[in-house]
Amino acid sequence: MAEKHKIVVYALSTCPYCKRTKRFLDDHKVAYEHIDVDLLDDSKQDEVLDKVEKLTGMRSFPVVVIGTEHWVGHDEQRLKKALNL
Amino acid sequence: MSDAKVERVYCPVCLAKFKYSEGWSEGSVVVCPICGERLTLRKTADGWIGDRVDRGTEKEIRSRIDGFAEIRGYVFNDVKEDIVEGLLGKYKRFGDFYCPCRMEHVPEYQCPCKPTRGGDVEKNGKCHCGLFWKKA
Repeated sequence: MAEKHKIVVYALSTCPYCKRTKRFLDDHKVAYEHIDVDLLDDSKQDEVLDKVEKLTGMRSFPVVVIGTEHWVGHDEQRLKKALNL
Repeated sequence: MSDAKVERVYCPVCLAKFKYSEGWSEGSVVVCPICGERLTLRKTADGWIGDRVDRGTEKEIRSRIDGFAEIRGYVFNDVKEDIVEGLLGKYKRFGDFYCPCRMEHVPEYQCPCKPTRGGDVEKNGKCHCGLFWKKA
């Protein structure tokens, strides 16, 4: 199970697809860290946005990071596969 | 050819002007044909301005997105309610109904955002957020 890897969700607090990703992980009782980028203070936000842009080449959300794997968007099939659900 | 000057109304949502129609007057409630916002007409020294009806309320944003979809012939799907919730969150936290799927809180990303008003749904089948969809 990929839960042995660290799971991070970069999200916007208002984004419906980010909420769906978080809801999916909650429903499957998967432990994860989530960062609502739009709610961070300016300096922290710049730092996290740089990180997201380096990782994905864009500023779209949600960004899901599971171990060394990452992708942009709410994708239940990919979540299931990555987490062996 | 008539040389009468065509009067126009300024919409504070899409920041554009649209044609003033016959029969309208001060206090008339009209729908902006560009973004779907309901506006109360007001005459100023600089011309006609539309004031947002029910500004900042759920009624306002629902009326705007429904009006825009009707004007363009777009449809919604089951993500609509989540997006309305996101738009209300944007108003509460950032002061206006900005696109809930973007970081930037600027006038051109007022819903329906400028790319959507500019034809993104025609090109991509949906808007950036997936609120407005082209009819199948």
